[in-house]
Amino acid sequence: MELLTALHDWAPVALLRGGRWSYAAVNAAHILGFALLIGAIVPLDLRLLGWRRDVPLASLTHVLLPVAITGLVIAIAAGSLLFAVRAPDYAAKPLFWVKMALVICGVVNAALLHQAAAWEQPERLADSTSAARLRFAGMMSIVVWIAVLACGRMLAFLD
Amino acid sequence: MLSRRSVLIAGAAFTVTGVTAARAHHGWTWAEGVLIDVTGVIKSAKLGNPHGLLTVTAKDGDWTVEVGQPWRNERAGLKDSMLAKGVTLTVRGNRTKDPKLKVIKAVRVIIDGKNYDLYPERIS
Repeated sequence: MELLTALHDWAPVALLRGGRWSYAAVNAAHILGFALLIGAIVPLDLRLLGWRRDVPLASLTHVLLPVAITGLVIAIAAGSLLFAVRAPDYAAKPLFWVKMALVICGVVNAALLHQAAAWEQPERLADSTSAARLRFAGMMSIVVWIAVLACGRMLAFLD
Repeated sequence: MLSRRSVLIAGAAFTVTGVTAARAHHGWTWAEGVLIDVTGVIKSAKLGNPHGLLTVTAKDGDWTVEVGQPWRNERAGLKDSMLAKGVTLTVRGNRTKDPKLKVIKAVRVIIDGKNYDLYPERIS
């Protein structure tokens, strides 16, 4: 596909493909991104599932959600560059598209929960939004984001 | 008794063992221990991060040869033009454990009688 080849051949991407420290840095940034995302979202998801219910959900969300979102943005930015370096090859791997679909699932799941609770006062979040709704979102989130991580790692081990 | 000192010593020993083992096997666990030679002509080359690959046509068929990342190839003295279609070379390296596959990870590349060492510490 010409778009993939054009992306692959773009000068800054070609520099990454031939670089040592630059490529390593982008790789490390990708890891930092998803480390922040998973490190922040898993505790929040566990709380949604009912763990440590003595901690106010609103406080946890206030602290962890911005970190998770920042991590996701970093992961997507660095990941786009990593993808570009071998765009035609990654695009030809079904597992890569499974990973992308899972990322979309993760984002949509978070957005739906946010929307469901958006009209609530933060301090009433845990009361008004049903526990079942929170549990579902929490379970989906943990499963999806860890599946994304697994897919990403497995790209190097599957054709 | 689990004193702080003994925990620190155990931790250090564990780390050293882990680092040593990792150095010996990073990226090689799928390969055989012995070095073999594959001689042929490069049919195609796909160089650059994260992996450089050559297809080499030898007497017994086409081999997939893993060469280094750009920095490793450069360090060995290899230019991209030397790993191009039509070049005759000998690859010394470790073959994949699966005998059905013709895949080899290059430790040394020999072109026109000259040695280019990708992993000098692995040349016996």
